[in-house]
Amino acid sequence: MGSVSIQSLDKIYPAAGKNPAFHAVKGIDLEIQDGEFMVLVGPSGCGKSTTLRMIAGLEDISGGTISIDRSTVNDLLPKDRGIAMVFQNYALYPHMNLFENMAFGLKLARTPKEEVMRRVTDAARILGLEQILDRKPAALSGGQRQRVAVGRAIVRDPKVFLFDEPLSNLDAKMRVSMRSEISKLHSRLKTTMIYVTHDQVEAMTMGDRICVMKDGRIMQVADPLTLYHQPENLFVASFIGSPPMNLLRGRVERREGRLVFVEAAESDAVFVPLAGALAQRAEKNLGHEVVLGLRPEAIYDEARGADTTPLRARVELSELMGSETNVYLKTGAGTVIARLHTERRFAVGEELVVYLALAKAHLFDAKTERVIR
Amino acid sequence: MKASTIRRLKLTLAHVFLVGFLVLTLTPFLMIIAISFRRGDLAIGALVPVGDNFSLEHWKYVLGIPYEAPGADGQPRIIRATTPVLLWFWNSLKVATVASACIILLSGTAAYAFARMRFALRGLLLKSLLVLQVFPMVLALVALYALLQLIGDFLPPFGLNTHPGLILTYLGGIAIYIWMIKGYFDTIPVSIEESAKIDGATHFQAFVRILLPMSAPIFAVVFILSFISHISEYPIASVVLQTERQWTLAVGAQSFLYEQNYLWGKFAATAVLSGLPITALFLACQRFLISGLTSGGVKE
Amino acid sequence: MPPAAVRILYHTIVAGLVVAALFLSARLYLGGEPLVGAGVLLVAGLAAVTYLRAKAYTWRYLFPGLLGFAVFVLFPLGYTVYVSFTNYSSANLLRFPQVVRYFETETYLAGDTRYSFALHRVGGEPATYVIALSPPGDESIRYATTPVALDPPPAEPVPVAADNPVPDSPPLALREVIPLRGLLQALSLELPDETLLTNTGLREFGPRLPLWRHNPEDDSFTNVQNGARIVPDHSIGRFVHATDSEIAAAGTPYGPGFRTFIGISNYTRVFTDKGIQGPFIRIFIWTIVFALGSVALSLAVGMTLAVLLEWKQLHGRKLYRTLLVLPYAVPAFISILIFKGLFNQNFGEINLLLNALFGIRPEWFADPLLAKVMILIVNTWLGFPYMMIVCTGILQSVPDTIYEASAIDGSNALHDFFKLTLPLIWQPLFPLLVASFAFNFNNFLLIYLLTGGGPDMVGAATVAGQTDILVSYTFRIAFRDTAQNFGYASAIATIIFVIVALLAWWNLKHQKT
Ligand SMILES: Nc1ncnc2c1ncn2[C@@H]1O[C@H](COP(=O)(O)OP(=O)(O)OP(=O)(O)O)[C@@H](O)[C@H]1O
Ligand SMILES: [Mg+2]
Repeated sequence: MGSVSIQSLDKIYPAAGKNPAFHAVKGIDLEIQDGEFMVLVGPSGCGKSTTLRMIAGLEDISGGTISIDRSTVNDLLPKDRGIAMVFQNYALYPHMNLFENMAFGLKLARTPKEEVMRRVTDAARILGLEQILDRKPAALSGGQRQRVAVGRAIVRDPKVFLFDEPLSNLDAKMRVSMRSEISKLHSRLKTTMIYVTHDQVEAMTMGDRICVMKDGRIMQVADPLTLYHQPENLFVASFIGSPPMNLLRGRVERREGRLVFVEAAESDAVFVPLAGALAQRAEKNLGHEVVLGLRPEAIYDEARGADTTPLRARVELSELMGSETNVYLKTGAGTVIARLHTERRFAVGEELVVYLALAKAHLFDAKTERVIR
Repeated sequence: MKASTIRRLKLTLAHVFLVGFLVLTLTPFLMIIAISFRRGDLAIGALVPVGDNFSLEHWKYVLGIPYEAPGADGQPRIIRATTPVLLWFWNSLKVATVASACIILLSGTAAYAFARMRFALRGLLLKSLLVLQVFPMVLALVALYALLQLIGDFLPPFGLNTHPGLILTYLGGIAIYIWMIKGYFDTIPVSIEESAKIDGATHFQAFVRILLPMSAPIFAVVFILSFISHISEYPIASVVLQTERQWTLAVGAQSFLYEQNYLWGKFAATAVLSGLPITALFLACQRFLISGLTSGGVKE
Repeated sequence: MPPAAVRILYHTIVAGLVVAALFLSARLYLGGEPLVGAGVLLVAGLAAVTYLRAKAYTWRYLFPGLLGFAVFVLFPLGYTVYVSFTNYSSANLLRFPQVVRYFETETYLAGDTRYSFALHRVGGEPATYVIALSPPGDESIRYATTPVALDPPPAEPVPVAADNPVPDSPPLALREVIPLRGLLQALSLELPDETLLTNTGLREFGPRLPLWRHNPEDDSFTNVQNGARIVPDHSIGRFVHATDSEIAAAGTPYGPGFRTFIGISNYTRVFTDKGIQGPFIRIFIWTIVFALGSVALSLAVGMTLAVLLEWKQLHGRKLYRTLLVLPYAVPAFISILIFKGLFNQNFGEINLLLNALFGIRPEWFADPLLAKVMILIVNTWLGFPYMMIVCTGILQSVPDTIYEASAIDGSNALHDFFKLTLPLIWQPLFPLLVASFAFNFNNFLLIYLLTGGGPDMVGAATVAGQTDILVSYTFRIAFRDTAQNFGYASAIATIIFVIVALLAWWNLKHQKT
């Protein structure tokens, strides 16, 4: 019913005044299933909003096609696409009360009065806004405003919900609770939702699948766990996860008959022997520039059998997070972050031996930035 | 001396200065009010209208009420105003109100296009408007005169010596208002109108039902600024309006102060009568206006 | 209303307006203004395209405003520049074809044939008359007009014919004709042989013949009475005698002048004509002094007040502010005229006071220096509230903390103002000052209502006053001088425009950075 299919979509903002033309979205393909919660993430300026706005019909399409429910919507007006959108700044009509805000679209569509009444009160009930329907937006808290904006979308009964960073104007606590409310809403309505954010926690917790974008291109589309454990490329590896994956640049060499990874550093370079599956992958790239990626939680403070490789380093900084501690270790060309499950305090400058779980490491080709399989 | 004593001394000095300055500033107004109640048109004898000097003759004259005054031969005569001051006031109100309403219509729609749409020439057009508008219309009177003459030949109600004709000539002066309104529109997030479009509104509906109601304050500012400037407009009105009954107050008031026919007292009454409501209007909307004057003015 | 009905209504309105415009255009064309008619047609066409084609959507919002701007700003501007290259003035008022027509219709009383006439009233409201004519010495032949109203006199010659009936009523007596004489003289009669007759006495009409013979090949005219020939001289916009004769030397202008292009001579006059150059330069300098002085003085007063009123410990700041804004709130034309009266040399209250206190009566309007001082005083009074408002607005955007920091550093108020406040507010203030300068550069209302430009300069070729600024000078040349030299006035207007437009443009650019 509400599937969305995007084929080689392009967006070129034409030159205006002194600004040259800008290619914001570069031929992306994306299939979104009916009822799916798809999250678009990526750094600022990567084209998420532009893509979403093209789906909504607020921005002209420079090339490619967008289909909703298997029919092309390229030339349809926003109102005829069966979508609803929630904006970052809520975009409520300040001169109308909540009821009028939610009923505006229905009234424009000449919906019968009772029907308007029914749909608005239904939406208000879902969102807990029944008591304040006669208030103006100015008299609401941020969270309430956000709910009204969602309510306005629900009332339209769309095939696809579009969200553009709907929670970024809320404080941290509010954000967490609204996050789960939107997730609940999704499981209740079972409608397709496309959700833009640059907050990876939102992406990981809410999305059925996540589409990571960079510079107008899609880097990887996958469910959260796949994205986390099997990043396709350096960008996704570094973008997903906090603290980020440790990335060590270097090359694969054969020393004394064994494959080793040698970090490219002036001194103190990380030097790790490779074994098992990792060694097989590395073998094909013998002598090549590679990047070794290791998540902070794959570094332990004690040896765990034969699979872990010791590394000696100096503590630069430690952040006590409660049940765990992020330790920044100075070694080789940069800093390696380890997330250690301990409540022990680390002194700055302390010498420490940590153990790398190389079975969980990733290898990337330094030139193409793609993962080595 | 203690710091607090010095501070108190400074405060007193400031008050003395401010009060003195205020007296100096407001004296002309107080004088003109006094003069409007003073017998005769010349300042002979006292400045203050008390006792024998007090008279309502100027007010009666201005309001068109007949009154008695000594004639040339010393005998009392009934004098009835020959100058239609109230009519001038009405003319001024009419011209300024209609012109301001039309200006809002023209500049509001244009400002919407400039603020919300992207089209070729946009930047150039915006800047040219502002630069060309500095040409003082006083200097284009020859052309305006010829234009109204031509219009009058074919559409008599809009010709010379008519109020619609005068209003027409005011409709060119919209550049500054376009900039002001555009500046305000720019502060309103576009997403609100986009939201309306998703809700099914057309461009025009989004403009009229969403943007306009939200922009009421700037329209009030523009209306009042335009109203005040057109109430005060003299040069064009003085050339376009030729007969006394068509004059606006700005044209008419000046006629009291000809050297040959110096009607100082009558002028004073006219000035108070017409100045009061406009001043009151200004003060009432001062809060709006001052923000309109200092911000939003000219910025992109 | 359902959308379809709205669409139909919309199209009907657009179509109605376009039809109205077409009608107007046709009338203009038939009324002898083909160019304007074409212009209206063009606008109507553009409007139709804009309002009916979906692609021109943006322009629907811009069209009315831009049209108003084009007609009432751009056109007058262009027309002014155009006039500045012509000799348009009260002496050269007419267009060339109008002057040609003037010569073509000029007639003279030919020979001594006189027709006697009788006037019969027919009645009606307004009264109509029949004029009956007899050729000299032959009372038997009678020509007569049909009944004709004399007031107002008919513009075209009235034909007379032998077979028109003459009323039976007796003709009017002489004393009844005398009051109608003026009207009769404005009338011309046309005999069946096309000879024109005009009234030459209380009892007579005489034949009139065209005075000039038109030579279409060079648009010259020959006088049929004395043979003098006049030719148009397009460089000066006059007809001149072609050859020397006893009537006039060759080159002597004759008849009314007409409008013609005279190149840039209106501009060169500004720099070469002594009677103009002197006053122009003095007026130019005074305009700059006036504008700069006004800005500086009102800024000084306004800024002082604004800074003072920012002092938080001062009580009644709100009241002070409201009262101080009054000079700005009262319409300027009223305040200026109030000052005009108060400063009056003989009747003004200011001189009354000065006389009572110091025994002096300064000649505010007759002495050039005093007049200028008075203008600056009045303009400072008018202008300081605006500066106060603007400065207050900008001052409030300066964070208090910097003063707290400087107080800890041991600064004092004056030091604060010049070292901290002024540098901080200068950036936003400057464009407003430039705009204020441009406004005063063209502050017509003040000068015109207060002094009217006077006292007059002696020895100037056109009207020019000691307190005139460029705009008021220009206005007076065009509208308050008998010569009404529109061409020269337009040249100065163009110069002024270039100056202020450059200023505005520069200001706009300056603001961006
Ligand atoms: N109207 C426009 N004209 C020209 N360029 C634009 C326009 N709108 C956006 N861009 C450019 O297109 C690129 C993508 O913008 P977009 O708004 O889609 O980014 P985003 O991924 O939503 O970023 P953010 O997380 O900051 O919202 C940016 O580089 C931006 O500068
Ligand atoms: Mg965005």
